[in-house]
Amino acid sequence: MHYEIVKAEYFTKKVALLLALMAAGAGAFFLRFVFGLGDATNLSDNYPWGLWIVFDLVWIALAGGAFVTAGIVYVFMAEKFHPLARPAVWMGFLSYSFVVVTLLADLGLPWHFWQLGVQRPEHSAMYEVSWCIALYVTVLALEFAPTVFERFGWEKLRDLWRSLSPIYTVVALAFFVLLMSHKVWMAIVALLVFAVIAFITRASARHSGVPVILIIAAVGFSTMHQSSLGSLFLLMPDKLSHLWWSPLISLLFFLSAVASGIALIMLMSILISYFFNRPYNWDMLADLGKVLAGALFVYYGLRIGDVIVRGNLGLAFSGPDGARFLVEIIGGGLIPLVFLSSAGLRKNKNLLTASVVLSLFGIIFNRLNVVLLGMNLPGTSPGGVVGTYYPTAVEWALVISLIAALFFFFGLGVKLLPIMPAVGEVLKVDEKLSRAA
Amino acid sequence: MSFAILIDTTKCIGCRSCQVACKQWNGLPGEKTQIEGRSTAFQNPVSLSAKTLTMVTYKEIEDPNAPGGLRWVFAKRQCMHCDEPACASACPVTALHKTKDGPVIYDEKKCMGCRYCVWACPFGVPTADWDSLAPRIHKCTMCFNRTTSQPQLTELNGEALSAEAQKIFTSSFNQPACVKACTTGALKFGEREALLAEARERISSSPGKYVPHIFGEKEVGGTSVLYLSSVPFEKLGFRTDLGDRPYPYYSKIALEVVSPALMGLGGLLAAVYLLKQRKAEVLSSSEPEKKE
Repeated sequence: MHYEIVKAEYFTKKVALLLALMAAGAGAFFLRFVFGLGDATNLSDNYPWGLWIVFDLVWIALAGGAFVTAGIVYVFMAEKFHPLARPAVWMGFLSYSFVVVTLLADLGLPWHFWQLGVQRPEHSAMYEVSWCIALYVTVLALEFAPTVFERFGWEKLRDLWRSLSPIYTVVALAFFVLLMSHKVWMAIVALLVFAVIAFITRASARHSGVPVILIIAAVGFSTMHQSSLGSLFLLMPDKLSHLWWSPLISLLFFLSAVASGIALIMLMSILISYFFNRPYNWDMLADLGKVLAGALFVYYGLRIGDVIVRGNLGLAFSGPDGARFLVEIIGGGLIPLVFLSSAGLRKNKNLLTASVVLSLFGIIFNRLNVVLLGMNLPGTSPGGVVGTYYPTAVEWALVISLIAALFFFFGLGVKLLPIMPAVGEVLKVDEKLSRAA
Repeated sequence: MSFAILIDTTKCIGCRSCQVACKQWNGLPGEKTQIEGRSTAFQNPVSLSAKTLTMVTYKEIEDPNAPGGLRWVFAKRQCMHCDEPACASACPVTALHKTKDGPVIYDEKKCMGCRYCVWACPFGVPTADWDSLAPRIHKCTMCFNRTTSQPQLTELNGEALSAEAQKIFTSSFNQPACVKACTTGALKFGEREALLAEARERISSSPGKYVPHIFGEKEVGGTSVLYLSSVPFEKLGFRTDLGDRPYPYYSKIALEVVSPALMGLGGLLAAVYLLKQRKAEVLSSSEPEKKE
């Protein structure tokens, strides 16, 4: 696979707009610390989590595109999607970094962040998520490193990366198991298991240029933190409507992250073609649409089955919760599933794009429902008095500026580094595949 | 041995001495409040906050035997000190934890301010100090700093105290501030099992006075605050829909699965990769022949 640096203007009107939004966000971040969390936001004891947490959960679910793409390309070896691998990892790395920015603003006492490194809670989903994301960001950085080496011709560094990154990855995985299980023997087992995996798959570095243990770690860490973000809500069976709360919410969060991850990568591909005047690759997107259909089918199948089996289907037909549930399931699940299931309809650019947007909407709406709209808050003890929560300008500004920052840095990346596949390359892959078939 | 507080709401007269004593002992400022009216009656302030760790609720209920057909029922509210607290299991930095003595306590030096505890608590107890630039969590600690230390007062105003007087001082100090301040004996501090036995005894010795239920004996897996009431607990404004299962039950399972699942997933992915790799090799070795 050959990559190229996209030749485009660094400074355009669009870039200026992004920079202005980012400046507003920087101001909001500053104001948050000047005025304190209570005054800068509309968070309260009744609504201790708000827009920023919704945003984090949404963004992490969408950034699942990085691990799904890496898994599909390097583990399942679906060569036709290879052109998406580098942009997906770059998008993931940026997304996770910016989520940390929101977290810094959202934490009341962010300067105590280091406590995560010294405390050992037994069963805290928040602890799991924190460590898992921290380690995953290092894996994303390692996944992205060859792009930088290639740009500057640092071949020695690349060789060093090839031999050392698997070792780091194995140790990181075992360390994570130690933190989660609190058992040294289990960490040793994990060390052995992952060392064996790294050894038997070592040829991968030669074949695809990426040691597959790195991708296995990316998928592993992602699976764990995506599902643990769902586990956060296991402690709220009394508050979250049972149209969303389920003992299976962890699994549902993971499966929905796979679906929304694929959808986001498809959208990303379309947007790149649009903004950088590059050729669209609708055939590849239609194929990815088929994968998305599979992911949606599994997720919504379990989602609807779970609601039925636990006897909560009746809730779907009463009140605003029920209405939102139906919009989420039908609008975000069933409609795109119908479009994507037919090979003929997938060929239709507009229907394919609409399906992608609807799939994303369904899962974004799901996270919004889980964190805020589906919550039946009892209020601070003794309860009964719960107002309504509307995010403040500071809360909105930070969120919008970070989305702008994602676009800005993504664009900057593809203009500086060999992230995008060479234009001819995509066609070459198609040709090779049709020959093999 | 774990301590608890028994709150007999039938003895409470709503004097709020406990509320005042709590503020004094914890050095908490007053709040600017007003009587809110019908729904919360004389309840003041309306809810717990970072400045108010305990408060008395006022409910007016219909009772044909009472003069005018109405009477007040009061209940002191604060942290329930669950045996398996949702807040402590939520905390990513163990800033909240259940001590073996009973209280669930908070260590502000560890807290990052993520407020997951506020979300997780089924009783809506932990609150954050939203006015502060460093919003810490505040909640009742069952005065663990009073109950775990054993101060000795050997003299008072320059005069030596008798052994008897010293004992009285220690025992009166060695309990939560609210319990010590209670004017009617509605609050009692002691060993949990003994208090449960006493609560059962009170219910059985005065038939009709109490509803036959000790709130906190089994709720959410048991709590270190126990309540007796003359009216069903819903009428006191308690949540009776929380069940007896400890809140951390599900998340505990989900998190124990993480380590084995990660290893299993790793093995699975490696197997998929090797299979696909083999397939690709077979394919590419047969390819040149096809070309011919």
